[in-house]
Amino acid sequence: MLRYTVKRLLQLSVALLGLSLLLFAWFKALPGGPENQMLPENATLDDRAALRESLGLNEPVWVQYLEFLQRVVRLDLGSSLSSGRPVATELADRLPATIELSLAAMVIAVGIGIPLGYLAARKRGTWLDFAAVSGSLIGICIPVFFLAAMLKVVFAQELALLPSTFRLSSGLQYTDVTGLRVLDGLITGEFNVAGDAFLHLILPAVALSSIPLAVVVRITRASVLDVIGEDYVRTADSKGLKPAVIRGRHVMRNAMLPIVTVIGLLLGSLFAGAVLTESVFSFGGVGSFVYQATQERDYPALMGFILVIAVSYVVLNLIVDLSYGLLDPRVRVRK
Amino acid sequence: MALLEVEDLRVAFGAATAVDGVSFTVDQGRVVGLVGESGCGKSVTSLAIMGLLPRGRGKPAPVQAAAAESAAGIAPVAPQPKARKASRSGADVSGRAVFDGTDLLSLPPASMRRRRGSDLAMVFQDPLSSLNPVVTIGRQITEVLQRHRGLKGDKANREAANLLDRVGIPDPTRRLKEYPHQLSGGMRQRVLIAIAVACAPRLLIADEPTTALDVTIQAQILELLKDLVETEGTALLMITHDLGVVAGICDEVNVLYSGRVVESAPVRELFARPTHPYTVGLLGSIPRLDLGTHEPLTPIRGSIADVIRWKDGCAFAPRCDRVAAACVEGEPALVGSSHVHRCVMAEEVA
Repeated sequence: MLRYTVKRLLQLSVALLGLSLLLFAWFKALPGGPENQMLPENATLDDRAALRESLGLNEPVWVQYLEFLQRVVRLDLGSSLSSGRPVATELADRLPATIELSLAAMVIAVGIGIPLGYLAARKRGTWLDFAAVSGSLIGICIPVFFLAAMLKVVFAQELALLPSTFRLSSGLQYTDVTGLRVLDGLITGEFNVAGDAFLHLILPAVALSSIPLAVVVRITRASVLDVIGEDYVRTADSKGLKPAVIRGRHVMRNAMLPIVTVIGLLLGSLFAGAVLTESVFSFGGVGSFVYQATQERDYPALMGFILVIAVSYVVLNLIVDLSYGLLDPRVRVRK
Repeated sequence: MALLEVEDLRVAFGAATAVDGVSFTVDQGRVVGLVGESGCGKSVTSLAIMGLLPRGRGKPAPVQAAAAESAAGIAPVAPQPKARKASRSGADVSGRAVFDGTDLLSLPPASMRRRRGSDLAMVFQDPLSSLNPVVTIGRQITEVLQRHRGLKGDKANREAANLLDRVGIPDPTRRLKEYPHQLSGGMRQRVLIAIAVACAPRLLIADEPTTALDVTIQAQILELLKDLVETEGTALLMITHDLGVVAGICDEVNVLYSGRVVESAPVRELFARPTHPYTVGLLGSIPRLDLGTHEPLTPIRGSIADVIRWKDGCAFAPRCDRVAAACVEGEPALVGSSHVHRCVMAEEVA
């Protein structure tokens, strides 16, 4: 397992290096050069020259790349053009909200999706299977922004059951530890904060979870159907094992392999895809910041965002690979 | 009394009948063969006895009981309940499989689970796919020890190592920590056998245990099974298409064709005086070293798909060289006492 881990880590660094090259190339390829994008249209030639100099654009390309790498490693992503604050700080302020929302959506997707997919497979051909399959089809088809708006109308406005905007009720004092409000509340013992943050999290998380939930249900169903038919499940049955043992050790452990892969990919896409949900619920995550950056051609901010998303994809993939190694001994020994 | 008495076992998958009234017995300490080509119902028979077939939603209509009742005037012929559609893969099982006085087929699932793996156990055909690839060999053995013998932790591990040792796997403590893919095919089959005998079952069912193995390994595995049967007094139901295996290990043989026993005899008797044309055909299609190299094999013509229903006549008739008009005039009965067969033309064959 150690060798396997080391190998994956090496692969990770190669992937990150490739990623930095791509980002650098993109930055270089901006139409008209970055100075045209970064300066107002009425900037003087001197201004442009000064910016070129300060950005190091007069150096050879490879020097520029190395400097770029250095900056990235120091988390120096430049300053946002619209706010003037460092991009790293802007992102760090907003990322926890996005992470909290994505994780919550994933918890819903996994917590409901895996048992539901399992049941659908076991009860294949029954109304439950039919409901799960067609329900997940609907889940995939409904646009997230529409679902988000509907949830807001029904549960926040009509029924007035749940809050529909922001992450906390106004006036509530909280201590920041991780930036994940629910978690912070639990850590510091401010349970009223945790509870309030949790209520605020429900609607956005449900809206965001619709697609991953649907995907997890389908993948689980297909994977469990595959595994139930395997000879080793019959062997387990022939041993007279209790159904719970057969389910856990023999069916789910094998069925988890494709599910874990999909969960990793989905989580990555949630970070990137929370934009719409966040803006509908004024959740204040990275989403609105990125939306604004796109509107205003705030390249440093966009680049920072892309870097964060890309790195989190790569890291999530590493986690998936490592859990593969844990789940399947055959992966570990493969050269 | 026989340890296992299978009586009129019928298994249907929807409209397709896989086992059509099979009866045979297995005595304590005996090795009984169930022989036939693919599709004759031998594996389904074993799975039905073990209670491992996916359950269908109904049972084949108990025709005789209903007829008897109405004949006795107890009840007017009740309107048949609408035949329920069998679930996609479910099997409808009827008949009896009496094991030590209990009909296994009528046991509720939970009681059957308590017996599976302890009183009766099974060794499967393909040792690679029959072991869980992501669970250690040790765990796959100890889970059955824990379930039926209550052994846990070190005790279970020690017993598992003993079992591996007994089935001839060297360095058992190391093997316990390994995974199936790290073992050879023969070793994996030994592991499956170790799992099956872990709780000293009184009946062991082996479904083509040597088919997926090299010839030399086959011989070793058969030796091992023979040895276990002799030392433990376990009864063995050997499912195979290989008459060589039958000759090597069985005491009695039941030849199956199209879901029914067509011939049943002690093994020497069967090889000396095969009576049913199907048995004769099976024996004729084995390559023999004592015949000249230019002697052609005599295969059975046609395929198992060429059948007529047993109640309309002999199912083997379309493929039989000695077929006569009598063969398709109704259902052929089993005749004989110790050597029974189901052929109306038997005199001619013999």
